[in-house]
Amino acid sequence: MKIITAIVIAAILYIVGSTVFFTLDQAEQAIIVQFGEPIGDVITEPGLKMKAPWQQVRYFDKRLLVWDGDVTQIPTLGREFILVDTTARWRISDPLQFLRSVRDEQGARTRLDDIIDSVVRDMVSSTDLEEIVRSQDWNVDVEQLEDPALAERDDVDLSQSPKLGRELLEQEILARAQRLMPELGIELNDVRIKRVNYIESVRRQVENRMIAERQSIAERFRSEGQGRSQEILGEMERELRSIESEAARQAEEIRGDADAEATRIYGEAFGADPEFYAFFRTLESYRTLGPNSTLMLRSDSDFFRYLEDIAAD
Amino acid sequence: MVQSNRRGSNALEDVLASLNTGQKPPRSVIGGIIVVFVLVWAGFTSFYTVQPEERAVVKRFGEVIGINDPGLHFKVPFGIDRVEFVATERVLKQEFGFRTTGSRGGRTTYSDAVLEDESLMLTGDLNMIDVEWVVQYRINDPIRFLYELREPTRTLRDISESVMRRVAGNRLGSEVLTVGRVEIQSEAREEIQEIMEQYRAGIHIITVELQDVVPPPVVQPAFNEVNEARQERERMINEAQKRVNQEIPRAQGAALRTVAEAQGYATERVNRALGESARFSAVLTEYRQAPEVTRSRLYLETLTQILPNIGQILVVQDGQTGPLPLLDVNRTGDRRREGEGSR
Repeated sequence: MKIITAIVIAAILYIVGSTVFFTLDQAEQAIIVQFGEPIGDVITEPGLKMKAPWQQVRYFDKRLLVWDGDVTQIPTLGREFILVDTTARWRISDPLQFLRSVRDEQGARTRLDDIIDSVVRDMVSSTDLEEIVRSQDWNVDVEQLEDPALAERDDVDLSQSPKLGRELLEQEILARAQRLMPELGIELNDVRIKRVNYIESVRRQVENRMIAERQSIAERFRSEGQGRSQEILGEMERELRSIESEAARQAEEIRGDADAEATRIYGEAFGADPEFYAFFRTLESYRTLGPNSTLMLRSDSDFFRYLEDIAAD
Repeated sequence: MVQSNRRGSNALEDVLASLNTGQKPPRSVIGGIIVVFVLVWAGFTSFYTVQPEERAVVKRFGEVIGINDPGLHFKVPFGIDRVEFVATERVLKQEFGFRTTGSRGGRTTYSDAVLEDESLMLTGDLNMIDVEWVVQYRINDPIRFLYELREPTRTLRDISESVMRRVAGNRLGSEVLTVGRVEIQSEAREEIQEIMEQYRAGIHIITVELQDVVPPPVVQPAFNEVNEARQERERMINEAQKRVNQEIPRAQGAALRTVAEAQGYATERVNRALGESARFSAVLTEYRQAPEVTRSRLYLETLTQILPNIGQILVVQDGQTGPLPLLDVNRTGDRRREGEGSR
């Protein structure tokens, strides 16, 4: 019977122990609730705690929690429809307030959904897409681009740095959303834009534009190649002509000098007796006559006279 | 650790003491069995092993009381002490835009799933780009890792995506594709680390590594076309250059030849002049000795020399209308030349 007594005592001890003692995990904080009414301060220190057996304990997470928004389709100020996916981190900062206003995490999530979604929607639809994508320190030197054609986009101004930029936009979203948080007992740590993408139909357009852009660059490369090739060939032509004409000029000069020299030599030699030279040169030229030449002679020329003599012989 | 061990041995002594005192009064076999069972159970649940790459976070009644290094350790049983293991020494990895499914035969295999949502992002020029990357990290503070964030790994993923999109969005698409890689990696790493510090997440980011960075699939052929066009440009320039290299030396050679020919002409011309005038001067000297005789001799010599070649001689006389044929030496001349040739 002692065993039964021992078991009964053990059972009573266990029941008392489990209703009076409770453990609070490092990750948690708790509120003691008595007949639906929160009693005392929030317990944040972990460890073994005590309460009255008729009191209940409500546990709340102490850590940073993740809020992940739905992907929402929002038009920007420039009327492009984009898909925005936001993420946020929050914690239960005032469990009493939290318990009163939203009861539990499920309730908190739906409230956060409403608040953050609407703030994000407001902000995105009053902002240009560039502002959402680029950051405050956006700095692109249009002059330094790989291809100048890229700078001539009519839909995007590349050099314009954003008024806010992504970080400040996120901060602004956070600031606006935070205003409503104290009454929920929630501390919103940050709100971040996780993903931004075009909707399907806009995506096709952008892809087509990118293709056209690339093709124009390709075309530019090709014509640049042709241009450079023509330039090189033209330059070659110029050089060829310059080389040839320079050579021709030199050749003419050399010839001219030689001719002049020859003329001077002839002049010096023949000037000694021009009459004899004429005679001598005439005879020379007769010698160069080819076969079957026809010779025309005046009947009173010396040549004819001598010829008659030979014929008479 | 030392402290927890000491506490543990105290607790063990307490248990043994209560066991010794409890065993005497009932003297019952069943009671003994129960006590033995409890003892064995306690013994088995009082020890745990921490693996080399792990650290153990020990909690008593939910409160963290210490971290234990690898080895065999004691804890208070019956759920009073609880232990959580955190792999602090292991380098962990998060993949974005692709998934490693395992390794087969020494080669890593990747899932075929298209994770476009994860990898597709906008660049600063509002173009799209497909970026795959890896974040390598280590848990450097197990307590923070467990108790500052409820979902630290998911948070790390969210933040990595957000940061990578911000960094890529702050650059031109062409930059992200080509020269910006290293800068993007270090910028993203620093920014993710900074945010993790802010969360006190106990995570140390080792590296952020970009994997495939490509334009969207539909646009890729156009990108290839640009590369081809660039090659073509180089080819055209090279071909033109090649032609230049062929033609210019040739023209230079030809020019040298022209000049050399002219020089040859000049030399020849001057030499001829010198020679002819020397000859003339010599003849003139002789002629001056006996002008009349020499004149006739030269005439006759010349006639003798040229007559074989003459086909026809026309004699012109003043006062006559047409030329007067004197001799038709054509045939005789021919014959004579034949005769001379045979001689």
